[in-house]
Amino acid sequence: MKLALVFVLGLVLQLALTAAHLPWLLAACQPLLLVTVFAARTFSPIGVAWTGLAAGIATDIFAERIIGPGGIAGALAGIFVAGLVRRFEMQGPLFWIVGSLAAAASSELAWLAVVATLGMRPDHTWLGGLATIVMTAAAGFFVAVVELAARAWGSPARRRRRALQRL
Amino acid sequence: MLRLQLRPGLTLAVTCLGLYVAAAAQARATRSSALSVAVAAISAPVLALANGVGVLAEDFSHGLRSLQAILAEHTHLEQEAAELRRVNQALSAEVASLRQGSRLLAAYPTLVEKAVVARVIARDVLRTHTLRLDRGRRDGIALDSAVLTENGLLGRVDSVQEHSCRVQLLTHPQAAAAARITGVAQEALLVGGDQPRITGLAPYTDVPENAQVLSTGSEGIYPPGLLLGSAGAARTDGLFTVAAVELAARASEANTVLVLQPAGRATP
Repeated sequence: MKLALVFVLGLVLQLALTAAHLPWLLAACQPLLLVTVFAARTFSPIGVAWTGLAAGIATDIFAERIIGPGGIAGALAGIFVAGLVRRFEMQGPLFWIVGSLAAAASSELAWLAVVATLGMRPDHTWLGGLATIVMTAAAGFFVAVVELAARAWGSPARRRRRALQRL
Repeated sequence: MLRLQLRPGLTLAVTCLGLYVAAAAQARATRSSALSVAVAAISAPVLALANGVGVLAEDFSHGLRSLQAILAEHTHLEQEAAELRRVNQALSAEVASLRQGSRLLAAYPTLVEKAVVARVIARDVLRTHTLRLDRGRRDGIALDSAVLTENGLLGRVDSVQEHSCRVQLLTHPQAAAAARITGVAQEALLVGGDQPRITGLAPYTDVPENAQVLSTGSEGIYPPGLLLGSAGAARTDGLFTVAAVELAARASEANTVLVLQPAGRATP
């Protein structure tokens, strides 16, 4: 349920970031890939791959591209990210930063590879791919900072400090 | 009933393969527009909301920049207004000084040839009873030059520098001038102090009140016939009749003065 909610939120955000009145660079950000990274915390690699597949298909549909390459790339990125996170036991800010970077990079590479095997001309080249990686990693960094702040805000140590200040 | 039991990994691989085949088929077939319409319909409200947020952010940013520009302009204008006020005050003082100078020159048409118009640059009328003028030796000012305002005698120069000089006022405790009172035949002596007075008159001399007190020039400093002030109530004090004098020239109001060449001396 939580994942579904995050998925919908990511999808809406991904759509919204392409709005004409927002800075053009934001359109390169792929919040749906962060949903895949988010799934890596709770699901097995196959489960994360399914999430990536769903995210990729949704991206394909809403980008009005050929449906499929994005899904396959998302699934591969999910497996890669899940493996990476488990292998290095990533937690905290590093989980989001490295996870989003790895997800964006692997997804872009896989997508380019799939599109190339289909004999299609990709709708973006290395510059678009780089922008996607950078912006998605920046979004991951932002989520890491927010999570860190939220944890610090709700930490028992802070509650203890506040309780002591009230005495 | 056929029951398929696939491993999750295999299911995923099969799905991906299916997607790949579907993608290949889509690449070679014309695309359906129904999905595009659906995507457009779903995207429209989200995009409209995001555009609204973007426009709001742009407006806010623009407003913030405008506000900063307005504040900067306001600060600049405030500084400009303060500067203009200062200049205006300076100009007003300058105009007042010029008017006083004009009146001064008009008051003594016969003395103008031998006089220097000077501006008061410092004054201490309560403690040292002096004024400092912006003219000095280079302008022909010499020691003991008489100093006049349009209302009458003010004092004499008691110290001269190259570009400035100091005036000892008639209110100075050590100041004195030979004087006569209109309607009184005798010559008398005006002495300074906080309350200047005329003395040296014979006892029980009848001094008309408010009579003009004029210089006689006997002390060799002040030219004769210049107004010193007006006489007040007289009384006999010991050997002399003494009368208070209300000085005509007020040092506190003098901004421009006329400095005469000292009597009997030549300007260097």
